[in-house]
Amino acid sequence: MSSTATATATAAPTASAIQRSQVDLVDFIDWSGVECLNQNSAHSIANALKQGYREDDGLNVESDADEQLLVYIPFLQVVKLHSLAVKGPEEEGPKTVKLYSNREHMGFSNVNDFPPSDTVEFSAENIQAGKPVVLKYVKFQNVRSVTIFIEDNQSGGDVTKVQKIAFFGTTVETTDMKGLKKIEDH
Amino acid sequence: MVLEATMICIDNSEWMRNGDYTPSRFQAQADAVNLICGAKTQSNPENTVGILTMAGKGVRVLTTPTTDLGKLLACMHGTGLEIGGELNIASAIQIAQLALKHRQNKNQRQRIIVFAGSPIKYDKKMLESIGKKLKKSSVSLDIVDFGEEDEGKPEKLEALLTAVNNNDSSHIVHIPPGPNALSDVLISTPVFTGDGEGGSGFVAAGPAAGGDYDFGVDPNIDPELALALRVSMEEERARQEAAAKRAAEEASSQNQGDEQSSKLQDTTMADTTGASAAVATDAAEPMSEVDALLQQAIALSMQTPASDSAVRDTDMSEANNEDQDLAAALQMSMQEGEKDSSGQMDMSEVLEDQAFVSSVLASLPGVDPNDPSVKDLLASLHGKSESSDQKKDEEKAAKDDEK
Repeated sequence: MSSTATATATAAPTASAIQRSQVDLVDFIDWSGVECLNQNSAHSIANALKQGYREDDGLNVESDADEQLLVYIPFLQVVKLHSLAVKGPEEEGPKTVKLYSNREHMGFSNVNDFPPSDTVEFSAENIQAGKPVVLKYVKFQNVRSVTIFIEDNQSGGDVTKVQKIAFFGTTVETTDMKGLKKIEDH
Repeated sequence: MVLEATMICIDNSEWMRNGDYTPSRFQAQADAVNLICGAKTQSNPENTVGILTMAGKGVRVLTTPTTDLGKLLACMHGTGLEIGGELNIASAIQIAQLALKHRQNKNQRQRIIVFAGSPIKYDKKMLESIGKKLKKSSVSLDIVDFGEEDEGKPEKLEALLTAVNNNDSSHIVHIPPGPNALSDVLISTPVFTGDGEGGSGFVAAGPAAGGDYDFGVDPNIDPELALALRVSMEEERARQEAAAKRAAEEASSQNQGDEQSSKLQDTTMADTTGASAAVATDAAEPMSEVDALLQQAIALSMQTPASDSAVRDTDMSEANNEDQDLAAALQMSMQEGEKDSSGQMDMSEVLEDQAFVSSVLASLPGVDPNDPSVKDLLASLHGKSESSDQKKDEEKAAKDDEK
């Protein structure tokens, strides 16, 4: 009972409560809609997103024609994004990552058409460690889908490799249907 | 059966007036485009196809991707299709990409088909960067290189292809000028069959449907069909041999027809399995009286020695005058014939068997096999015309005679 309460964040978000109540949103990703442009077909986005694959540092998503990657992730329900963890190798890991919330079907041609909801610059150490980076929470209160634009990588080479991408946050719906109990007669 | 949105970029520059492809480069291209539109829409009903012109006054989108085949065909024959100007491949591809980006069904994969008939003035570097952009946005590209044989043009196009190609989803076809129609050559290429999947029955008429199995049919999946195909293939071979012998013994006036028929037989034999598969499927279908009549009429409407088209027309008109049934069947077959030119070629072989044909003719009311004009027609069955455009002309001429 208490665990469902923390998972659904009904409490007012104090600073400590935020850290505790964030869930890994991998369970809320709508896999049928996940798209990744410019990925190398042998190394696809699932390697970085899916549970199990992303833990394996040998499996990563690689870019194909050049160093940029555009990943579109829709969610099964509306979520709030708190932080983002990206892990990659020291040289080919991503450097500049831009996030766009609720923009469908973006292409490389229109990434520059509107400002990103947030931009994160990874340094070599934190891309290697893959620690979560806190995002501008206020911009991600009502997120149906997120687009990740990886603009360049650490070394400036032609191939960008990413081992893990994970989002942490909370769901907006406060009712966890599985936790609901039937009202039983006394 | 891949769900795809396709943009076809046609070349309507001055170079397309050239007649090295019959009847003109532009017309050959138009036929090919019509066939592609048909094949794409048939292979998956949700596929959309759009057309744009690359030359003329500038790149112009004739239709945005649509499932409506009628609209596409109308576009190709429309009045807006002026020939002139110069090819502008770079903008054309970018505009095609934009058109695809705004397609209604985002689940469709994106494909661009480019007909490059005139020289390419862009340099390799630029083409490669265009290709790279297409690859990034996961757009496949098919290139049909025909017409002008520029030095460097094939290399440039190959460079563009390698820049775009992702897992062999993009293709290039080089078609030198020759006796074969552009569309016929295209049918056998992956441009038509879409990465060698085989596609629907329409596309299966092209040889590429063969794949691993003899007749493009997996004996495991459909053993009866495979058996039927094999049997009719053998029957066909026997019939063709007999007909070839007979043709060789014909009078000297038919010499030219003989050459053509044997040439045709060679090319059709060389044609891979799909042609015989089409024939076989025809044979396998229940051949009712009506079908026999129709096919008879189709054969008559198609077959002539190339040099004798004038004689041909008079034969046709005589036949028309003589026999109302035959005439009605001919009319119906003309409509059919315009749609399925490759199928016609194959059906003609079925009717080469003189015995078979004369028995069919005898069963037709009002046609006396001993009549001299009918005998001429029968003799002409052994000569064949190759060009489908010629067939169309003859059909049109017959239609005029009809009127």
